[in-house]
Amino acid sequence: MMTTRRQIFALGGGLGAALLLPRALSAASVEVIEMRGTARGERIWYAPTGLAIEPGTTVRFVNRDQGNSHTATAYHPINFDRLRRIPAAAEPWDTGFLLPGESAEVTFKAPGVYDYYCIPHEMAAMVGRIVVGHPDDPGWEGPAPATDDVSVEVLAALPSVEDILAHGRIERG
Amino acid sequence: MKFLPSLFVTTSLLVAAPSFAHDEEALKTAPPGEPYVQVSDALPLPEFIPGLGTLFVDPQTLPAGPFLAYDHDGKLSATVYMTPLEDLQNGTAYDGLGIGSHTVSGVDIYYNAGHPGVEKPHAHVVLYHDADAKGRLAE
Repeated sequence: MMTTRRQIFALGGGLGAALLLPRALSAASVEVIEMRGTARGERIWYAPTGLAIEPGTTVRFVNRDQGNSHTATAYHPINFDRLRRIPAAAEPWDTGFLLPGESAEVTFKAPGVYDYYCIPHEMAAMVGRIVVGHPDDPGWEGPAPATDDVSVEVLAALPSVEDILAHGRIERG
Repeated sequence: MKFLPSLFVTTSLLVAAPSFAHDEEALKTAPPGEPYVQVSDALPLPEFIPGLGTLFVDPQTLPAGPFLAYDHDGKLSATVYMTPLEDLQNGTAYDGLGIGSHTVSGVDIYYNAGHPGVEKPHAHVVLYHDADAKGRLAE
């Protein structure tokens, strides 16, 4: 299977929006979030939908859906003028469209709650939440409030921060 | 969707004025020619989509289509329509749609949550044009 390392972003640090890291350096703490779908596309989702990680962890988004393309796109004004749903100290990211088998990596540094979505599948509530660190970490920023920028279905699909922290990962396949 | 350029927008400037051809011979093998464009050339989708094959569509007919579905050998195997459920519920009717071949051996209808080009949750209506078509498009 082809693997494309499209982008690597360092988030929330003083290193700027994009920072290429040697593969060996990032390999020590990499979590995988798969983009999945049923064969006919009736359902599509991130696996896991909710994930707890420590600051500095790299997340590899991998498209395992053979019949569709997906993105992992932060809710942030820089991405299509969406309202921010990631910590203010974090840099926004957008993996771009990943075809089957392709992947992209993002490194999360700022503690807090990150909500993201799939551009072509937000209407189907394909969204995910990553919790970085813990509420007592310096600079922690909790979940963004409900707004008209996201649908009721999207808000309902986001796992609670409490559940993510309690279980580490939330699967909703 | 407010931020994703649609296939219609991105390709309509590239094609000639639409005129759906019922010339079955011209559509039997890929590529079908104008006004059809290969979906994977205009959108971030696999060239061959398991279950649907290689799709061509006249952008002027979006979202419903017809999408012409070809197998790995370039044989027209199915005609596919994609009808957003919300639009149907709001009273939109998709009447008088074209068809790739007048020979239909079977029909599948199923739900799809969306994909680039037709982001709204919609139904896929698949008209297979021969008994083996479904198998050839499977993977």
